Amino acid sequence: MSMTLQTTYTLAAMVATFVISSWKSRSPEISMVITAVVGALVAGFGFPVRLLVEGTLTYIDLALQFITASLFMNFYAEIGATNALVRNLVARFYDNKWLMLFLLAFVMLIPGAITGAGSVSILVVGGLVATVLEFMGFPPARRAAFVFIMAILSAAAPPINLWAMLMAAGANMPYVGFNTILLLPVLAVAIFSVFYFGRGTKPKPKAEVLAGLPSAARGMTWWRLALPFALLLLLILLSQYAAHSIPVIGLPLTFLLCAVLVMLLDPERRGLKRWYDVTIQTMESVFPLVATLVSVGVLVSMMALTGVRGLIAINFVTLPIVWIYVTALLFCPIAQGSLSYGSAAILGVPIIFRFNSVGINVTVVTAALALMFPLGDCVPPSRIVARLSIEKVGFKGSYMEFIRAIAVPWCVLAIVALTMLIFPRVFVPLTM
Amino acid sequence: MVFLQEVIRHIYFAMTAFFGLLLLRGLFKRDTRKSLIYDIVYAYTIIPFLLRALHIR
Repeated sequence: MSMTLQTTYTLAAMVATFVISSWKSRSPEISMVITAVVGALVAGFGFPVRLLVEGTLTYIDLALQFITASLFMNFYAEIGATNALVRNLVARFYDNKWLMLFLLAFVMLIPGAITGAGSVSILVVGGLVATVLEFMGFPPARRAAFVFIMAILSAAAPPINLWAMLMAAGANMPYVGFNTILLLPVLAVAIFSVFYFGRGTKPKPKAEVLAGLPSAARGMTWWRLALPFALLLLLILLSQYAAHSIPVIGLPLTFLLCAVLVMLLDPERRGLKRWYDVTIQTMESVFPLVATLVSVGVLVSMMALTGVRGLIAINFVTLPIVWIYVTALLFCPIAQGSLSYGSAAILGVPIIFRFNSVGINVTVVTAALALMFPLGDCVPPSRIVARLSIEKVGFKGSYMEFIRAIAVPWCVLAIVALTMLIFPRVFVPLTM
Repeated sequence: MVFLQEVIRHIYFAMTAFFGLLLLRGLFKRDTRKSLIYDIVYAYTIIPFLLRALHIR
């Protein structure tokens, strides 16, 4: 039996195992690990413990980043800063509907942009934003859609776009030059979405809205709101522009320092026990994402061992580029729905190699793909972000109704990403 | 600078150990995802944190 045929059998066994396992266990994380083990068994490698364990370490740095960023945002919410921020926005800007909507979109974009996870945006500010949207006359499906679209845009927004980071790591390229090329499409789609969702809504009186929001914490001043983000910005800028003058701090420690600053700025001086409880809650809420990263590492490791990754890569490298244009918007979201962030490592990296082989700017290609993968956050089986949006907003309608509500902004983001993929030269100046 | 870098390196080990311990706690006591499947997921998710904290990998 030829090596290609054997690897194809392994791939078929892995796909079948993943489908059955996802269906039976309802956990994409364990399905990935079971798939990895079955792949190794079918390919004749037995149970390669050492490689399975090594695979768990592949994305541990990203996992640490996830945890610390979520910790920072949850500490910030715990001292009442998020509530105060939204309350201040309503008090000052509610009378101007469009300005208010843009500010809500901005508030939604921040947590995901700095953590790389749209789910963090939903967990931290999604509930409050949905409450304000309700007062602004948004029907339930549109509220869930607004929260979902802003969450996926926040995950795609710089400085942390995990899909782009994973693809850059897999293709041995630096994660440099992505800020503008990711920011502009995200802002364009966010602006469109605000106008699209905000059309025809009639806001309730401002006093009623303020009465419905949680009261601001005592002693919460503007500098307590701004200082943690100022420190975050300072450390990120220093690491970029004074890299040779300061030690390498890394994003996880940066977020941790900001979290410590939030603790120090707490106007109510909560005890260590309370912070410990918040940390426990954060670990539980962020656990599916951490487990996904660990599981993806195991799966990618086994795919490399069995040759399946190479088979996929070879097939993509030999594929006519026009076929990638035609199928990218189908495969990228489906892969995201099945493999979550693993989609970037497994599907994204071979596509980058394909475009690199014909001399196309891979930064633009990576950015385009990094905008396509989040589209799959509403695709089964995982659909973590869609599920969270629906739960947080308390939307009781059917999933199809939710899909209809997100369809137009979803298509606009898809068209923007596909345009970047097809006409990369136009976007090259944005990578400088 | 070298000394500071070494301090940061050790902070990362300590951070990983702390989060590993929290995951270990989650394996035995948690409020969400209480099924057996998530017992297994917790069990293998701890592995990289443990190995990093023990300076093995």
